[in-house]
Amino acid sequence: MIEAKHLTKRYGKTLAVNEVSFTVKPGQVTGFLGPNGAGKSTTMRMILGLDTPTSGDVMVDGKPYRELADPLRSVGALLDAGAIVGGRSAASHLTWLADSNGIARRRVSEVLDIVGLSDVAGKRVGTFSLGMNQRLGIAAALLGDPETVMFDEPINGLDPEGILWIRNLMKSLASQGRTVFLSSHLMSEMAQTADHLIVIGRGRIIADAGTDEFINRHTAPSVRVRAVEQADLAETLTQRGALIESGSDGAMVVTGMDSAAIGGAASAYDITLIELAPLGSSLEDAYFDLTKDESDYHAGQLVDATKGA
Amino acid sequence: MSTATHTIDAIHFTAPAPPVRSSPPSWTLKSEWTKLRTLPSTWRTAVAAVSISVVLGAVLCISQANQWATMTAAQRATFDPTACSLGGFFLVGAVLLGALAVRTVTAEYSTGMIRSTFTATPTRRRVLGAKAAVTAAFAFPVALLAAVVSFEVGQRVFAGKHLQVSFGSPGVLQALVFAALAVSFVAIIGVGLGGLIRHTAGATTALVLVIVGGAVLGQFLPAGLRQYLPGTALEAAVTVHWSAGLLKPGTAIVVLGAYAGIALVAASLRVTHRDA
Repeated sequence: MIEAKHLTKRYGKTLAVNEVSFTVKPGQVTGFLGPNGAGKSTTMRMILGLDTPTSGDVMVDGKPYRELADPLRSVGALLDAGAIVGGRSAASHLTWLADSNGIARRRVSEVLDIVGLSDVAGKRVGTFSLGMNQRLGIAAALLGDPETVMFDEPINGLDPEGILWIRNLMKSLASQGRTVFLSSHLMSEMAQTADHLIVIGRGRIIADAGTDEFINRHTAPSVRVRAVEQADLAETLTQRGALIESGSDGAMVVTGMDSAAIGGAASAYDITLIELAPLGSSLEDAYFDLTKDESDYHAGQLVDATKGA
Repeated sequence: MSTATHTIDAIHFTAPAPPVRSSPPSWTLKSEWTKLRTLPSTWRTAVAAVSISVVLGAVLCISQANQWATMTAAQRATFDPTACSLGGFFLVGAVLLGALAVRTVTAEYSTGMIRSTFTATPTRRRVLGAKAAVTAAFAFPVALLAAVVSFEVGQRVFAGKHLQVSFGSPGVLQALVFAALAVSFVAIIGVGLGGLIRHTAGATTALVLVIVGGAVLGQFLPAGLRQYLPGTALEAAVTVHWSAGLLKPGTAIVVLGAYAGIALVAASLRVTHRDA
């Protein structure tokens, strides 16, 4: 359980995190979503007692992190998988971590096994690929068998197999009743992994809701429609408050009415429908809609590229 | 959280550990020792420190022995075969071991691993204290070995001119132990400078200036102040034949210990009050 209250961090004139309050509950995957530079990492560093808040506070299991006696048994965190001295072996890296919290050394080989690095336990970390570093970071986070796990952008640089593995791991940790807090700037990833979303933009919380609820609230479902009497249908639907855009191939994209309502309106006016297809709503649309004013920099083409992916 | 029931699976602990109220400092010491001994560069540094100290010491002794014939009576009177044989040790061995101590801190800052360290042990002064204790404890036997072998090789060189002293000669054993102790304090100063400066190059340069720079800077200072410079105190710690302008060896060790303490406290304050 993580509880932040009016958490604020100021660097000179920049307000990196602004009066942020949220609770991360056990038993579910909570996504911490926001564009780069929104304040996700700063918030996570404050949770871990690495950065001191300018004001406000954040508790882990009811205590400030720095007061935890053996913090690795309470919270396992992966902030930056590359932040590691490369000269040691993977097993040695985990051994010093285990020693620092009085964790039995046999746990080192257990977690290496969980993340699939047993075969390279004796290899220098400096020779590891990004994906292997990421797995080692997760092994380190699991070392103390913590009730709370926290991962900052864990899928960065991973191949599809690795992404799937992490996604399943998060879900299984949550299903065991643990608190799973996961940051990402990738909306599509969050849609598939997170049960709950905390969206941050420019240092402020702009949404805190269940993933489904978030989608429903922030996206307008749209329907693709073609009809023989297309102009008549357009007029009828507009009168009923729908918003109509013309698609490139002659179809209309209708927002503000679902397909049942459109079908009903068509039949009431004896309009023959050729096509009636719900387009669904994308979480990414909701995210971009919500954060477009909050993002520090607007890279239009970049956003479009991500959207298309 | 405590009410949550867990399914048995591979992720779970085989046997839950008993809860601990506050972490014992021995965990941090053990952890820092694991860090130090599992870096191959630690052992390479130790081997380099001993071998270069011995070879350079021998070269300096050969040079001194060859100059003996042309030395003045005054120079001969203050000639210290013990200190001379440790010349290479102080020029290189102490610097290498000090730089190793610097890197125990700066390598973690430059890679960002310091965040893992402070996440595992949030009491940061304890982390620095453990690094200082562990590197000093590692430096002591390595430095003692370097000093003893340098001394022995040096005396064999001097034996050719019948200038040698032996382990049993007055003040020699103390000088060798003080040499190792002095390098342990240099290691602690290195940890302190690492915490204050955080960059390997900067902190190592600062350490070299502290050890060697004193000799250069010292010429502009009155002798009364000069003898308290770390570099001069280091030189004084191993003298068997006391000479003017140097502290007594015991005093010199105390002065070096004070420098180590100041560096460590300053670094602890700095590291604790700064975001990691």
